[in-house]
Amino acid sequence: MTAPLVGFDRVFLGYGKRPVMEDVSFQVPRGDFLGVVGPNGSGKTTIIRAMLGTLTPIAGIVTRDPELRFGYVPQRDHVDSLYPLTVRDVVIMGRYDRIPIGRRPGATDRKAAQVALEQVGIPDLADRPLASLSGGQKQRALIARALVGDPNLLVLDEPTNGMDLVSTTQILGLVRDLHDDRGLTVIMVSHALNEVANYVRRIGLVFGGRLRLGTVAEIINESVLTEVYGLPVEVNSFNGHRVVVARSHQGSTGHV
Amino acid sequence: MFEAVLLFREALYGALVIGVACAVLGVYVVLRRIVFVGAALAQLSSAGIGLALWLAGFGLLGSTHAHTIGTSLVVTLAGALFFGVGGGRRFLHHEATIGVTYSVAAAMGILLVAKAVTGEAHDLFLQGNILGVTRTDTLVLLAVAVPVLLLHLVVAKEFLFVSFDPETAQTLGYRVVRWNLLLYLTIGLVIAFAMQFAGVLLVFNFLVVPAVTGLLVARTYWGVFGCSICAAALAATIGFVISVPLDLPTGPAIVAVSGLLALIAWLVRRVRGE
Repeated sequence: MTAPLVGFDRVFLGYGKRPVMEDVSFQVPRGDFLGVVGPNGSGKTTIIRAMLGTLTPIAGIVTRDPELRFGYVPQRDHVDSLYPLTVRDVVIMGRYDRIPIGRRPGATDRKAAQVALEQVGIPDLADRPLASLSGGQKQRALIARALVGDPNLLVLDEPTNGMDLVSTTQILGLVRDLHDDRGLTVIMVSHALNEVANYVRRIGLVFGGRLRLGTVAEIINESVLTEVYGLPVEVNSFNGHRVVVARSHQGSTGHV
Repeated sequence: MFEAVLLFREALYGALVIGVACAVLGVYVVLRRIVFVGAALAQLSSAGIGLALWLAGFGLLGSTHAHTIGTSLVVTLAGALFFGVGGGRRFLHHEATIGVTYSVAAAMGILLVAKAVTGEAHDLFLQGNILGVTRTDTLVLLAVAVPVLLLHLVVAKEFLFVSFDPETAQTLGYRVVRWNLLLYLTIGLVIAFAMQFAGVLLVFNFLVVPAVTGLLVARTYWGVFGCSICAAALAATIGFVISVPLDLPTGPAIVAVSGLLALIAWLVRRVRGE
């Protein structure tokens, strides 16, 4: 049995002395496709930051495989559109850590960037300014930047936030293809349970400062979701797709 | 007219060195949206000058230019260190910290100079006297600016990455705080030296306006640096050349030309329809 890429052992996370997440324990085995889901502000990004090593735990241990290489896709709005950078400029950044200080990216880096752009379906946008792209195109460019470093763990933070239905479906399909075709381990953070539920293998539900982890079937069921959200929740299936609907006490419904 | 300009050519060289160095650093200042960090550091530098003059009045420090530069440098670099590590962010919004530093440093500079007893024309230290720059001053400025610019050339992609997307840079192993610190220290170093000759207004102008001009007209990231340098050099030269025969204050004349170039750049951008 191979060692997991990342492991959390009784980890407490927070900012300053205030814990946001308590007693978090889980592992990310190779080949996993994990969705980390929860309401806005629940602590999803906190878990991911600890995983990436950008947040030091208050207590507990986070272990990482020595060969672990992250491909990180930040939230789109974290990327500043003021910078006059082309898509290729941005994608090549994913290889900067391999280029010694004082050296510029070379032909190999540009070729790798082009290959990554082809993988995400936007090879013709390489010379376009990043700021001129649509939300979906920009997301693809950021995924290409994560891929160009040849990662073994792809981490996406709210990849479909603010996107229309078509772009959302295309981006989630692209991520699923990267997992299925390349065997890439993927962790996807989202506040939209319905989007994630139909793509990932496992779900980590973040609520009340805790993480509840299981297979999609174990988590996406009415008893678990009703307990977590504190509302009556229905899980329906249409053409093999799960649709989670929260029912308020007055009888109105809404997607979770 | 040209005789008058030639008479002050050393001052023009000094203005060009300050302009070019600040124009390069200014691209980061503008892109990282830390314009007022530049202003606050410039005011800290002026407070450092005031502190040196005040201490000299008590015989606690010499009154030479070297003492003034040294004290100003220490105060400015301390400020750069503070902002570089994100000082005060735990309790206050970053901009509030910058605002407090700016206003208090500006006031301290004026108060300390007012109470200094060395009898010099102290206001010149705060407002700058670009026409008073000598060949030695220009060489001192070059001795600071050239290594800083070479360093920026060497670590350009690292500064770009940690400025553009620090979170992702950190996941790839970049020690973002250290890179930020290095960037802020280079900015502080150049400001501390430039302030001795150019004053708050001119230094702040060179840190912001040429970079804005570059961002308006350049189509590529590296092109922004080229355009920013050209805008600073052009503003320094034109401002200088028109100020001497017309008997205008040189610093404000350079700032006015800088502003005009930024306006032209904005019009160019509008015409291009981008």
